[in-house]
Amino acid sequence: MLRRLVLTRGPELAVLGFLAAIPLFVTNPYALGLLTLLAIYGILLIGLDVTVGYLGQVNLSHVAFLGLGAYAAGLVVVRLHGGFTFSLAAATLVGLVFGGLLAFPALRLEGPQFALATLSFATLTATALNELEALTGGAQGLSILRPPFLGHPLSASGFFWLCLALFALVWMAMRNLLASQWGRAFEALRDSPIATDAMGVGTYRHKVAAFALGSALGGLAGGLYALNFLYLQPQSYSYDLMVILLLGVVLGGRMSLWGAFLGACLVVLLPNLLSNRLLFQVFSGLGLLLAAYSGTRGLVKKTTRPFQALAPVVAMGLLVVGGLKVQNTEDWRKAIFALMLFSVVVGLPEGVMGFAAKALSKLFHLEPPALPPAASLDEVLPARASDGSSLLRLIDLKQYFGGVKAVDGVSMNVVSGAIHGLIGPNGSGKSTLVNVVSGLYTPTSGEMTLRGRLLPTGSLMRVAGFGVARTFQNLQIFSGLSALDNVMVALRGAYRTPMPLVLLGAARGEERKAQADALALLELTGLGVDARTPAKDLTYGSQRLLEIARALARRPELLILDEPAAGLAHPDVMRLVEIIRRIASRGVTMILIEHHMDVVSELCTTVTVLDGGRVIAEGTPDEVKRHPKVIEAYLGQAPAAGAAAEA
Amino acid sequence: MTAAVLAQVVVSGALMGLVYALVAYGFQLTYATSKSINFGQGELVMVSAFVSLSLVNAGLPYGLVLPAGMLFGALLGLFVERAGVRLALEQKSEGWILMTIILGLFFLSAAENVWGRDDRPFPTPISSDPIHLLGVDITPLEISVAVGVFAVMGLVELFKRVTLLGKAFEAVSADRDAAELMGISARRAIMLSYGLSGMVAALAGILVSPITTVGPTMSSTLILKAFSVAVVAGLDSGFGVVVVGILLGALEAVTSLTVGSGWREAPGLVLLILALAVRPTGVFGKATIRKV
Amino acid sequence: MICRRLAALAVILLPAIASAQTVKLALTGPFTGGSAPMGGSFRDGAKIAVAEINAAGGIQVGPVKMKIEPIERDDEAKNERGALIAQELASMSDLAGVIGSVNTGVVMAGDKHFQEKGITKIICPAAGSKSMTQWLDPKVPDLSIFRFAAHDGIQSAMVVEEAINRKFKKVMVFFDSTNYGVSGRDDMLDQIKKQGNKLEIVAQEKFNIGDKDMTAQLLKGKSAGAEAVLIWGIGPELAAVSNGMAKIGMKVPLIGGWTLSMSNYIDNAGKNGNGTLMPQTFIEEPITPKAKAFIDAYHKAYSVARIASPVSAAQGYDAVYIFAAAVKQAGTTDSRKIKLALEDLKEPVPGVITTWVKPYAKWDPNNVESHEAFRREQVVMGMVKDGAVVFGNDADRQRLKKAAAGTKGR
Repeated sequence: MLRRLVLTRGPELAVLGFLAAIPLFVTNPYALGLLTLLAIYGILLIGLDVTVGYLGQVNLSHVAFLGLGAYAAGLVVVRLHGGFTFSLAAATLVGLVFGGLLAFPALRLEGPQFALATLSFATLTATALNELEALTGGAQGLSILRPPFLGHPLSASGFFWLCLALFALVWMAMRNLLASQWGRAFEALRDSPIATDAMGVGTYRHKVAAFALGSALGGLAGGLYALNFLYLQPQSYSYDLMVILLLGVVLGGRMSLWGAFLGACLVVLLPNLLSNRLLFQVFSGLGLLLAAYSGTRGLVKKTTRPFQALAPVVAMGLLVVGGLKVQNTEDWRKAIFALMLFSVVVGLPEGVMGFAAKALSKLFHLEPPALPPAASLDEVLPARASDGSSLLRLIDLKQYFGGVKAVDGVSMNVVSGAIHGLIGPNGSGKSTLVNVVSGLYTPTSGEMTLRGRLLPTGSLMRVAGFGVARTFQNLQIFSGLSALDNVMVALRGAYRTPMPLVLLGAARGEERKAQADALALLELTGLGVDARTPAKDLTYGSQRLLEIARALARRPELLILDEPAAGLAHPDVMRLVEIIRRIASRGVTMILIEHHMDVVSELCTTVTVLDGGRVIAEGTPDEVKRHPKVIEAYLGQAPAAGAAAEA
Repeated sequence: MTAAVLAQVVVSGALMGLVYALVAYGFQLTYATSKSINFGQGELVMVSAFVSLSLVNAGLPYGLVLPAGMLFGALLGLFVERAGVRLALEQKSEGWILMTIILGLFFLSAAENVWGRDDRPFPTPISSDPIHLLGVDITPLEISVAVGVFAVMGLVELFKRVTLLGKAFEAVSADRDAAELMGISARRAIMLSYGLSGMVAALAGILVSPITTVGPTMSSTLILKAFSVAVVAGLDSGFGVVVVGILLGALEAVTSLTVGSGWREAPGLVLLILALAVRPTGVFGKATIRKV
Repeated sequence: MICRRLAALAVILLPAIASAQTVKLALTGPFTGGSAPMGGSFRDGAKIAVAEINAAGGIQVGPVKMKIEPIERDDEAKNERGALIAQELASMSDLAGVIGSVNTGVVMAGDKHFQEKGITKIICPAAGSKSMTQWLDPKVPDLSIFRFAAHDGIQSAMVVEEAINRKFKKVMVFFDSTNYGVSGRDDMLDQIKKQGNKLEIVAQEKFNIGDKDMTAQLLKGKSAGAEAVLIWGIGPELAAVSNGMAKIGMKVPLIGGWTLSMSNYIDNAGKNGNGTLMPQTFIEEPITPKAKAFIDAYHKAYSVARIASPVSAAQGYDAVYIFAAAVKQAGTTDSRKIKLALEDLKEPVPGVITTWVKPYAKWDPNNVESHEAFRREQVVMGMVKDGAVVFGNDADRQRLKKAAAGTKGR
């Protein structure tokens, strides 16, 4: 336990303590200025990492939030004569609000469109700061006098300590957040946004909140920036600076607080590095060695492609040669950034910290903390009484894609407590039907009710909120998360602590409870021993079962299993049947889409057969098997009914 | 504000808009085959323009500079594809966004050091003395830009429809997996698209340089506008960019005339964010269906 | 981690480990980026002066001759870099002084650190008014910041005066959206008022850095009947203005700040630039032996046929000589004593622009001119003619020739 604490918290405390002690020995104001900037950029980069790292999107608007925060703080001081705390609070708030405003439209986008939307916002912000002369002073800039802090004027080292304390606070808050449901949700929505929505977690909601949080940190950093430099100009927050910030995050290592810190060190020290020839040559030489080492290692272990191994070596080689040849390295600053970034993105996609973390975790192996005992299943998934009444009713449901009638007037009734089979040949509309019911598509027409209430359409999230859970034919597990975390993400009603309290670390108790609950569901599906295994390392069969466990975490009224046996070997199919029985015994109603007729026969009480988007037969498995239309649909004019069943 | 002034402003703006459209067209070419775009396209425009300028200064006649510059642009496009895009596409990641930004940064720095940071004039045999046309002043140089833009877009579209290679390109654009099953190499088609895109960028650089001068930062504002045009029009909509480009150019000019020149870029950007939010696939783009 | 820290400390400490037998003079400015033509020319001109002084054995400081050790710092025209560099320089214990800065924003962000530590700084060639007027405050009884540039106040007065002399009535005011442009606009509007409101402003327009199409703004001016365009801006956009005027057939003169003499304007405007007028402290025309020697030395040292920004280069050169004279008079490298010497220079300093006699006086918090070297008479009107800047008014040329021929500067 102690070893664990020393290894996980020790380095943080040591570095923070070291940084905090420097002003006691070094009085050089330049060094102090660099350290202050380091703390400010640390906050800024942690904020940027939220979008670039955890959401996995290229965010080009972070400088705008730095600028908005800086101006908010500056204007509070200059125009409202506000104090220190007020100005910083205003800066953070402005970041939060504008971040939220941008996030609503921008986060409906992905990839290049998102990058572009954020770039536009950054340009727009610079324009507005420059043009609103009456408010911001425009291009002429805004001079600020640093207000006293709680009544005392701050010395340079006092200001540094304040920045450092805020940095430490942000660090801790982020760590708390990432260790909570929020951290899991970030990971989940990167792996599969669709499953995240279908599990009721809400991709969009989490993205918007995360972006707003990152922007708020940008605003806070901006406030400190303003109080540090005491003179603001709109053009400081340029695309150039944005590229440098990206350099910091990517080079340091995405999705890592240490990475952000390392990135901040780099951003702050880079200009000094470049102005000193010898130092530059030493560093580029070290870079070349690192590139050569990791490249050779990757090639020998066959984990990287030749390009991935060679390109960084070439780039770093260019840097070394350039360092020897070029008169003034500062002139080539941007090219140097580019070469370094290129090498890291290609050769060390996880950044320097990601690379180091791997090496360190081998050196100091740490067992994860023990899991709590599994909760009782009665508590996690209380048995429901099945009254035989109608649960899900579909009335004349239609889904057209242009001229294609994928679902063409399906009416169906699923009885509470039943396992309702849904079969049909390929292209008969089963998957489309499930996608409509679960909210992925908005039906062209028709009505869906659950327990007599109209089911929402076109939103996975809202349907999930209604008590419908599903699995996916093409696996949508959160491959980066462990089996346990996969289930924990989806746990319904387990996380009630509001975000501000989560930041303060108040969610630990509910985490333990959630672990126990999730473990119970894993044991139900026979995955208890694999709780800590990353989902991507599970066998295919286990991954299918994991999807079921995850869907159960929603404590659903209706569980839709979309071809759970597809691709499974016979013993696994037997296991699956057994597990589905166990689930049914707890009163969960299921729709089972299957190709394995024997599975359907064994489990289902009622079967609906689709073909060409229409219902062609309905009844018990045996009735359906003998139905002439079904035989025709499966085998054309084939005579033997038994053969059709195996299709 | 007289109508004549307004007409002049709209015409000038629309002509600049055509250049946005041409660069935006370069984005579409690569997006069609690979769903990726070169965020460093502006630097391609700039470096190609500088190389062409060096060729002009070396005494090459204008008639030869044009194809030579375009060839260089195509090569540069191929380089971007190899060094910055291919790996990311193979890994099915969006790493190419960052990679192309990085390559652009490198080109920018190299150009700053090789050709200097100053803007330089680009000599051209085409006259820049205005002629008076229907109450509007317009220079033959500007007309040459319009002609060049339409000519190259027409030629590329013709190439895609008529030649075998072009049809392979179209097949990969329409459905990459199906095309690969038919034995068409998607990698080649993507390379071709980056080559073409580089060529189009080079042409944009050569056409616009005599008007705007050549300098390392010549395309830093151009590129954001070209992005806007491409995205608002839809990244897969062919000639939609021309319409949107002209509209955006005119809108900018009218904004700086009426609201104030500092706000010139604002309406375009607001429009962009709104368009993205309301219709992420663009005004002329096709909607896609999510599948699981 | 530790390695990085040590490296950081090394960076911080390295400058301190050097011999004490030199006069450490920092030269700062944007040597990369858009303002590099000015920053680079300034630095190169200053280094010619340094080389000349060192070749002659150095400066006589008390009993010994000491060489000048230039410390170059690139502020990238970024305020943040400027502030950090100012902190770095201000923390050097043995720094004699600083000359530099092109961008007013950088001055605003950084100079407070010099003032705090009492380090002598000569602003050169940044011309924005605010750089010095920010210190006009009774709470600043003493100032270690000087300027060696024709500040915008002088320049804008000359621009307005020129327009009035040329009998214009209606003018368009045109400026870029940077600090430099906006502050130039304010100065011009101020001067128009001061000089009796003889000019009617028919249009007031703005352009952004990177703009290539100025048609919309110019048309406003043209349709309002502007007879001249008074312009304040930096760089190649000015050329786009001239070219745009040619396109819409707006045949009126362009009058503006000294940046109109830079090569990136003159080259890119080509024949459309002819007739453009701007105040100049130095014209790359070898009218005096001193000027000829300087121009030749510059061309030779940097193998160029023309200086990118002659004004910056000449000012950098003269500023170093004035600083050297102050060091000699102070007899020490103590920056505070050098400041006192600068405020009361006993001997005239022959420069390439003029011979400087008592350029500065004791700081007067009510009068910015006490720390400004340039007066109206050191500045002439330059005019673009076929790719070069020549004297705009021949009277100026004769006056300078006569001054150099023997009579003292003023």
